[in-house]
Amino acid sequence: MAKHKVLVVGLLLLAVLFFGCAGEKQEAPKAEVKTITIGVTDKITELDPANAYDFYTWEVMNNIMGGLMRYKPGTTELEPFLAESYEVQDGGKVYIFHLRKDLKFADGTPCTAEDVVRSIKRVMELQGDPSWLVTEFVDKVEAVDDYTVKFTLKEPISYFLALTATPPYFPVHPNYKPDAIDPDQTAGGVGPYKIASWVRDQELILETNENFFGEKPKVDRIVVKFYKDATTLRLALEKGEIDIAWRTLSPVDIQSLKGKEGLQVIEAPGGFIRYLVLNANKDTEYPTKDKLVRQAIAAAIDRQEIIDKVFMGTMEPLYSLVPNGMWSHIDAFKDKYGDGNIELAKQLLSQAGYSESNKLKLELWWTPTHYGDTEKDVAQILKAQLEKTGMIEVELKSAEWSTYTDYARKSAMMLSLFGWYPDYLDPDDYTAPFLKSTANNWLGYPYADEEMDKLIEKASKATSTQEREELYKQIQEKLAEDAPIIPLVQGKLTVVAKSNIQGITLDPTMIFRYYLLDIS
Amino acid sequence: MSSLKAYIVTRTLMVIPTVLILLTLVFFIMRILPGDPISAMVGQKVPAEVLERMREEAGLNKPLVIQYIDYLKGVFTGDLGNSMIWGRRPVMEEIMDRFPATLELTIFGFTISVLLGVLTGSIAAFRRGSKADTGMRIYSVVAYTLFIPWFGMLLQMFFGVYLKILPIGGRITPGLAPDHITGLYVLDSILTLNLESLETSLLYLFLPSMTLGIVLSGAYTRILRNNLIDVLSQDFIVAYRARGVREWKVVKHAMKNAFIPVVTLMGLQFAILLAGAVLTESTFSWPGMGTFLLERIEYRDYNAVQGAIVFYAVFVALISLIVDVIYALLDPRIRY
Repeated sequence: MAKHKVLVVGLLLLAVLFFGCAGEKQEAPKAEVKTITIGVTDKITELDPANAYDFYTWEVMNNIMGGLMRYKPGTTELEPFLAESYEVQDGGKVYIFHLRKDLKFADGTPCTAEDVVRSIKRVMELQGDPSWLVTEFVDKVEAVDDYTVKFTLKEPISYFLALTATPPYFPVHPNYKPDAIDPDQTAGGVGPYKIASWVRDQELILETNENFFGEKPKVDRIVVKFYKDATTLRLALEKGEIDIAWRTLSPVDIQSLKGKEGLQVIEAPGGFIRYLVLNANKDTEYPTKDKLVRQAIAAAIDRQEIIDKVFMGTMEPLYSLVPNGMWSHIDAFKDKYGDGNIELAKQLLSQAGYSESNKLKLELWWTPTHYGDTEKDVAQILKAQLEKTGMIEVELKSAEWSTYTDYARKSAMMLSLFGWYPDYLDPDDYTAPFLKSTANNWLGYPYADEEMDKLIEKASKATSTQEREELYKQIQEKLAEDAPIIPLVQGKLTVVAKSNIQGITLDPTMIFRYYLLDIS
Repeated sequence: MSSLKAYIVTRTLMVIPTVLILLTLVFFIMRILPGDPISAMVGQKVPAEVLERMREEAGLNKPLVIQYIDYLKGVFTGDLGNSMIWGRRPVMEEIMDRFPATLELTIFGFTISVLLGVLTGSIAAFRRGSKADTGMRIYSVVAYTLFIPWFGMLLQMFFGVYLKILPIGGRITPGLAPDHITGLYVLDSILTLNLESLETSLLYLFLPSMTLGIVLSGAYTRILRNNLIDVLSQDFIVAYRARGVREWKVVKHAMKNAFIPVVTLMGLQFAILLAGAVLTESTFSWPGMGTFLLERIEYRDYNAVQGAIVFYAVFVALISLIVDVIYALLDPRIRY
């Protein structure tokens, strides 16, 4: 008996010791260092811009590196960043950038034209995942002198400046391995912050880069904590473990955090879109190869219902692949079909030979984790909307991400849900990869239309914005007519932060600029 | 060779076919499933020809048998290959980044479960038929049936959000990680005499290891109670008591005898513990092997999954070996 009493006392002591330690001591102690802690559910995959090709890693790169051009914070307007100015020559085939003369990497090593050229050639040679953003367009890159970089393109590309604002074009420190991908390299490039420490999947600590040419960030230290799911992220915010909860809280959590004392919820439109792919492959037996069927589906879908019931207002309806707010955008699908237009859907289905007794049988695919927990609900609502016609029967099917992408490439799915993050902010990035017959193999539905191909080709080379705008409008109208893809919703960006955090700037680039933050 | 030595050698040699069979199964199952790591990683945007080149570089277009032989060659030379996605880092490096976190959580969870189990089991047995016994038996059933993410979240809400005394997720306060010696933060903090790190790492460990420990303790409570009751009614205990041997000595002997099945359970629990750690890790954003393995299965990172499973298998086999040896030492009749 005495023995187990000792054990009880021992356990109690242990508990007291734990709780005794527990106080408000969990934040790093250096009070004089202005620190903001950001929580995310994303992860950094690798710190080499020659191979990193995911949204969150690109965000981190935009805070520790920079390109010749950048998007002016809060806008979709491009401005010179590492370059002071640029010239376009030879009908848009040659771009010359004049670099700033005060560029330095975080350790003080000067950054010259030679470094820019070395970094871009490195991307081209290593042929990592995003290298096509360089190799598809650039024929030659050379340093004319210490501060001048000259690009010769394979052919004129109207959105080349936007490409130079993407990480594959960012100059990297000479410490990066010249002939191999360097996933753990923290030397970075020329940016407002430098990496002070990085523990994979746990934490990233950024500190002000004293050698940065521009305005110094107001916050000395940014700590990013990586969480596994939205629930833990929300609890961490409520506990005060983090100052900002960034990507991605669930719609329900965002809803319930709105109006909570001491917190602010900031929303902005994002360039992230969701859409439904209809297999238009003429070689298959899928009923979706019939344009009338595709049009009927397009008519039956009610976007607002999806937003209200699944996303609780954290998305907005989208009626074109070109997102709302981007130049040339038109509500092509709304103009042609309306929204949730069951009558029109029925009419089109009848024309296609279906009736209530001879129902159109569809298979709708979704993937459980890649687009978050809400995906199943999206699929179920779509099923209900389509079946509302009384002439459609939908079977839901799901597969995890690697299988899903495999099926997509093999054209094995009839209807499938997908999403898209932009590489560069131009209508081209929202149209060509989906609709150009030589670029849409990844969707496994060879939607190939000669007229569409010509329009896209012409739009990507035209130099006048007015001409491009006209062409992209035609592309969107043709997309609505042929309906191989039906745009559904556009993502909103949401940041929930403590109310003493200032400077949160969100824009369609979706890059959270930590260097604009401040704390009071 | 003594029989104990022979036993240990035989048990060690048996690990090899076990791991080999497991490895072969994982190798082929992963490849039979649709999807491959390259297209899962790059998703949609990369041109088809680039994808093909990447597959070729990863050796995925070789015949399956050749891939298998190549892989086995690597494993036997201690090379688990490179991860196929995100940086193509050596699998061993990826594992060593995460395994210490899992091991640390496992050790603490395991210790808590045994301590709680032994405590509650003994109380129940020594007070058989009392309210305490009923209480402990209810505890064992409830603990055993708790769903880790749900229970973990309750603890997070109470100790984290409501009382604000314990961290919600992660392993240590950013910037306070101790110098890397073993990768076990508690041990490294002690070795480097870093008290601040020790304190915070214990705080971060508390909720996940408690969750895991409580859930797993139920089985110990039950088995120890039943065995103790059994042992306490045996003749030798009655004889001890009849001779007036002091009660604590009786308890000591009873415990020693009742402990044999507990040790067996401890060995078996280790495998369950690793599985339970997967759920605990994701609930508490614990950066360990569990979440790594799940993520890599989803992305069909063949080498990482194979490597992690081989590593786990060897680890669990070693633990069972140790348990078997302890078992053999406790009860000399057990030698095969």
